[in-house]
Amino acid sequence: MLKIQILLYAAMICLPAATALFAAETGRRTVIYDDRTTEVAPPAPALSADDLWVTLEDLKLATGFVIKPQGVCRDELCFPIPKARSSAFLSKQGSITWFNLSEFARLLRQPVAREKEVWYFGPRPDVQNAFISSFAAPDFKLPDMNGREHSLSDFRGKKVLLLTWASW
Amino acid sequence: MAQDTGGVKDAGKWIEAAKPEYTVLIDTQHLVTRLYDMVNVPTAVWINEKGRIVRPNEVAYVDNRFKGMHGIEASEYLDAIRDWAAKGEQSAFAMSEKELKERLAPQNPDWALAAAEFALGEYLYHNGQGEASIRHYKEAQRLNPESWNYKRQAWALSDAERDYGTSFMKEVQKLNGKPYYTPRQLKKEKEQK
Repeated sequence: MLKIQILLYAAMICLPAATALFAAETGRRTVIYDDRTTEVAPPAPALSADDLWVTLEDLKLATGFVIKPQGVCRDELCFPIPKARSSAFLSKQGSITWFNLSEFARLLRQPVAREKEVWYFGPRPDVQNAFISSFAAPDFKLPDMNGREHSLSDFRGKKVLLLTWASW
Repeated sequence: MAQDTGGVKDAGKWIEAAKPEYTVLIDTQHLVTRLYDMVNVPTAVWINEKGRIVRPNEVAYVDNRFKGMHGIEASEYLDAIRDWAAKGEQSAFAMSEKELKERLAPQNPDWALAAAEFALGEYLYHNGQGEASIRHYKEAQRLNPESWNYKRQAWALSDAERDYGTSFMKEVQKLNGKPYYTPRQLKKEKEQK
């Protein structure tokens, strides 16, 4: 049992590093969106490497967004693509349509940080700032020291003193 | 919520020593810091039974072990917590909607970008790219100089003097009289009610 646990921990430590290494060697990009990490296909050579262009398949995989006639949509949420600048968002290369996720982030005023082929997309301002008008405490799920996960919402019905501290 | 990139390795011994009867979670990505726009520890938020914030971020010492450094008395905060626990929304310390609106402000774009840079630094650190992570920790510190979390966590992960050219004590000295924690308005609010 202990051996299995040690192996699991080793896999948890090694797998992300191996994935990142694999991505770097294959030209694939790593996209962290809504705190979820996805590997996406290498870029089309004709598209600017300064932005993150992804296939529509990868767009859905990495972000959950899909292109519809009304715009870039996820569930009930749709963001229209500015007609005058549609080429900044969409580009057809051969049979594949690419979407500029960096431009979309600029449109939504999402913060973006990049290290080579690793892209981190922060929350849209309206999502980040939602609690300052609703006063609803942002929910999260985190583990205790035994690895058991707890959500803030698990404590609904009780008063919560949410207190942060650190070892440093 | 331990804001500790090092996870159980760094936070575990403190949790074991505390023998807590309450839930203690470990936040290796500093997610709570980002969600609630925090800049230091200890910081607390009071949340009622419906999941609604009744007191936003504020310094939250519950003992006086570091009072000599920051001058914040813990007993008044503990009394306020007990008052809220007993009286709920009727407590003088549970903020009204008007008070919350006055206290809360949208995150400024530089701080939002700082959070993204710090989160990328965390990803890189956890994926064996420590050297690259330093660049992004530094950028987060530059964009949000108010965040001691970004500074102290990053320094703790490497040699602060070598990689950041500074140390905690040097940075505290640079405050030059400016408070290390944003002053808390607990007593003033209580007196006004």
